[in-house]
Amino acid sequence: MPPIVRRLAGGLAMPFGSVVFAFVVGALIVGVTGANPFSAYAGLICGGLGIGCTQGENPALEISNTIVFVIPLITTGVAVALPFRAGLFNIGAEGQLLAGSMACAAIGIKFNTLPSPILLPMVLLGGMAAGAVWAGIPGVLKAVVGAHEVVTTIMLNYVAQWLLRFLIIGGPLQLGPGTSKSLPIGDGARLATLLPADNSLIVLGLPSSVFRVHTGLLIALAAAALFAFLLWRTSFGYEIRAVGQSQKAARYAGVSVRRTIILTMLIAGAFSGLAGAIQIAGVDHNLTDKYFSDTTGFDAIAVALLGLGSAVGIVLASVLFGALHSGGAIMQSDAGISSNLVLVLQALILFSIAANFVGAIRRGLPIGRKPSALPPELPPAAGLMSEAATAPPETA
Amino acid sequence: MSGVEDIFRLLFTANLWQATLAAAVLLLLPALGGVISERSGVVNIAMEGMMLTGAFFAVVADLAWHNAWLATGVAVLAGALMATIHAVVSIQFRADQIVSGIAINIFAAGLTVFLVNRIYGIQDIGHVTPSESLPYINVGGLDQIPFVGKVLFQQNVVVYMALVLLVLVHVVLFRTRLGLRIRAVGEHPQAADTAGINVYLIRYSAVITSGLLSGLAGAFLAIGVSNTFVPNMTDGRGYIALAAMIFGKWTPVGAFIACVIFGLGEAIYDNNSIIHVSPYLLSMLPYILTLVVLAGLVGRSTPPAADGLPYVPGSE
Amino acid sequence: MAHKQFRFLGVVAAAMVLAVACGGTSGGGTPTKTFKIGLVTDIGGLNDKSFNHLADVGLEKAKAEFKIQADVKESKSGDDYVPNLTDFATKSYDLVIGVGFLMQEAVGTVSGTFPNVHFSIIDGAGTDAKGVDLKHSNVQSLFFKEQDAGAMVGVIAGWLEKNGKAKKNKHVVGAVGGISIPPVNHYIAGYKWAAKMEDPSVNVLVGYSNNFTDPAKCKGQAQTQIGQGADVIFQVAGGCGLGALQAAGQGGVYSVGVDADQKDADASVIASALKKVDVATYTAIKNVVNGQFQSGALTFSIANEGAGYAIDNFDPPAELKTELDKIQAQIKSGALTPPADIP
Repeated sequence: MPPIVRRLAGGLAMPFGSVVFAFVVGALIVGVTGANPFSAYAGLICGGLGIGCTQGENPALEISNTIVFVIPLITTGVAVALPFRAGLFNIGAEGQLLAGSMACAAIGIKFNTLPSPILLPMVLLGGMAAGAVWAGIPGVLKAVVGAHEVVTTIMLNYVAQWLLRFLIIGGPLQLGPGTSKSLPIGDGARLATLLPADNSLIVLGLPSSVFRVHTGLLIALAAAALFAFLLWRTSFGYEIRAVGQSQKAARYAGVSVRRTIILTMLIAGAFSGLAGAIQIAGVDHNLTDKYFSDTTGFDAIAVALLGLGSAVGIVLASVLFGALHSGGAIMQSDAGISSNLVLVLQALILFSIAANFVGAIRRGLPIGRKPSALPPELPPAAGLMSEAATAPPETA
Repeated sequence: MSGVEDIFRLLFTANLWQATLAAAVLLLLPALGGVISERSGVVNIAMEGMMLTGAFFAVVADLAWHNAWLATGVAVLAGALMATIHAVVSIQFRADQIVSGIAINIFAAGLTVFLVNRIYGIQDIGHVTPSESLPYINVGGLDQIPFVGKVLFQQNVVVYMALVLLVLVHVVLFRTRLGLRIRAVGEHPQAADTAGINVYLIRYSAVITSGLLSGLAGAFLAIGVSNTFVPNMTDGRGYIALAAMIFGKWTPVGAFIACVIFGLGEAIYDNNSIIHVSPYLLSMLPYILTLVVLAGLVGRSTPPAADGLPYVPGSE
Repeated sequence: MAHKQFRFLGVVAAAMVLAVACGGTSGGGTPTKTFKIGLVTDIGGLNDKSFNHLADVGLEKAKAEFKIQADVKESKSGDDYVPNLTDFATKSYDLVIGVGFLMQEAVGTVSGTFPNVHFSIIDGAGTDAKGVDLKHSNVQSLFFKEQDAGAMVGVIAGWLEKNGKAKKNKHVVGAVGGISIPPVNHYIAGYKWAAKMEDPSVNVLVGYSNNFTDPAKCKGQAQTQIGQGADVIFQVAGGCGLGALQAAGQGGVYSVGVDADQKDADASVIASALKKVDVATYTAIKNVVNGQFQSGALTFSIANEGAGYAIDNFDPPAELKTELDKIQAQIKSGALTPPADIP
């Protein structure tokens, strides 16, 4: 590879560069297929950020819709980013989210008469516990027998999906014959919206109930803050990072690799489960077939990578992906471009981040050291397949 | 339980095993691709996307040129092209191979539907006629053998191809110098490099081969098993193939056995009009089985030592 | 409801209230008015080879005939239903069409928020979380008697079995459903009922693929049924079901398409059960353009030619034609009522 290309790759290493790259290639794809990329992106930006709308969209509504998508992305983004730091790749955030939403719905329905101060913590904690179990299985399998978490979490995603179908089609949570959803959760299990869900109150020119941003936003931001605190301000965070850098070194330093792996996955699962519970408690209020097609947990992988595993980065990346999701529909109706373009853009961002690892690693390394095969700063997932092969040879 | 009895009775029918083999081959081709790629040290979870791309382009090409073999060629190349992206990103740029794989899968899902929309618009993509599909062939003479004939010799042409490829991949990997090189690169690239093996060349070829095989599987799905493209028609098969590869301990034969087990699950599921077991529980089975295997209850599954590690020339 | 509001935000918001209610200026417009029609698909998307696609076809037909601005949003996940419907509503579209049973609750919510905007929903009503129809005066439900269409193709299947005109004549026919939900089961109910009526000894196999997109899954279901002696296979599974049609072709038996005329999908397709979502969509738009929007249920059935059947790659004997005409007339007149639930 010529040095100029290499330098260019290094320069693009910033997440910003990744996004620009994705949009440029996306524009080419749109252009080649005979449509206008500029009007496509104008629609995307309007729908995502409420900027530059031309068809009478309400900017505040667009921002509100984006935030609703951002909330679960932040929480699941944390659930992917934390294991990354321990050298674990949690592809199972989706399954853990589903587990959390199922638990939340089950509890919220079963105890629907309880008052909010009791029931709301119950459904949120229940969701967290279910998510923790769903992630704990891969954690234990990884720590005890060395089974890759990549594969076990993928498998558990599918198990969760089928369990969900079982529960709401013919199973114990089904609303009634012929339906594919559950009863609504009790009022006490619901998270309040920031603005009252009132059709007669006009806010910014629209009934206030269209602004669906709910208090889950605060929980999500708290989750991001907790992630940062846990990782950088606690001894457990140190252990996570130590294990992520090198299991061998961590072991020499007296860190129990097994315990760290299991705990990390449990915590990550709790975050994902919380995301699922928040979706039920804050947006949907019942378990529906829409969760069959949910992809939040997969988008979270991109969020964690783009956010470089930092709390602020995760929030910003969530805003980007939430805006892309939200903007796709406006792009389609305003510019006539299939909202599937959004998936293409997401994939391009991922390629770009992934490919720029090299540049990022180079620049992140102390000068003079040879590039090593394992990225020291970024999620060291590259090495995990081989480390996965051998169970930590530890006797406890 | 009557459900168990039903399944037991079912196990003795040739129809079931015929369906099992066909379902297994849809998984086997991408799984073989995964074996080759990972044996060379490149993690590949992108079979799903490569297969979907292959399925799409098979239909596009068949509708344009009315020739199943030409269409299959296009599908195989389309799969290879996606694989090349994965190879460049993960070998040349030493990117995280799992991230690149996920990106391929998302890319394929978005791009195919986007293109259906752009190319065909309101007409929607059409149907391939049987004479322009990948043919089902009864092997003369052998297809009349009781039971076995129906299972093994009344199949789509791609099934026969896949079985040949299975033997071929096994022989190449374990009985030839090339196979030794591939495995060396996957186990210890530094040593392989020192011994004069071109690590990049081997890895590129292996990853692209996985794309060829996944593309073929896509063509089989779109213009063999069915006759059109439906968005997201691969329906997670690439991921099940991944499970089969691990289940089979990164060996072609092991992967094949796993594919047969998963295919059997699918074939039994297809009988839910006559047996009475919760379809949802049946659907969970392959995944739970894989977890059980991974839990070490059926023996450990160990990937190649350098699987997933980008190779940096000159590093120790 | 124990809503814990953020009071200061509410105050700030209230201070910023602009008393600009979104103006619903639809209804008896002048002939020069361009009507704005918004279509929101469910997660199947426009290329689902099923009702979303047909709704789009109806929209395009209306676009060609009336002066309308027609915009489409494909929902990528269930989370998109509410924002997609809301967007059209806030922009004062004259009609917002939600496609599919899965959108019932979203239509119920958004139509309550925007009482001045007209909504139509295909295969459903605007409901609350418990599935109870809210009966908003701005919502029109476009329902289909799928059982009518199912019954007509059931007559064909049953008649073929009774008269030994099918391929195997073991008095077995099959239906491959996607997921066991009402629109699917209505079809199967009519089919089974009519087949039994024609041939009381017929055994109707019913399988579900739990899938609407993967043809291989439905193919497997159909092959099983063919193995059990079925020689007419009715697909009720959208894109997945195309595999069932193909299985019939390869198994040398007959098949029946669904929703649209699926004549071209396989040579084995002898008939299709039609659910004219395109007609319903077109009709809904036409009514709005003519200032004749009506709330409540508009049911498309054999009686108003919103459901029916098509004879495809098959030349039916005169006797069968007579039988079909007779049953169709009886359903039309109400003398026969195909059941909505699988008997």
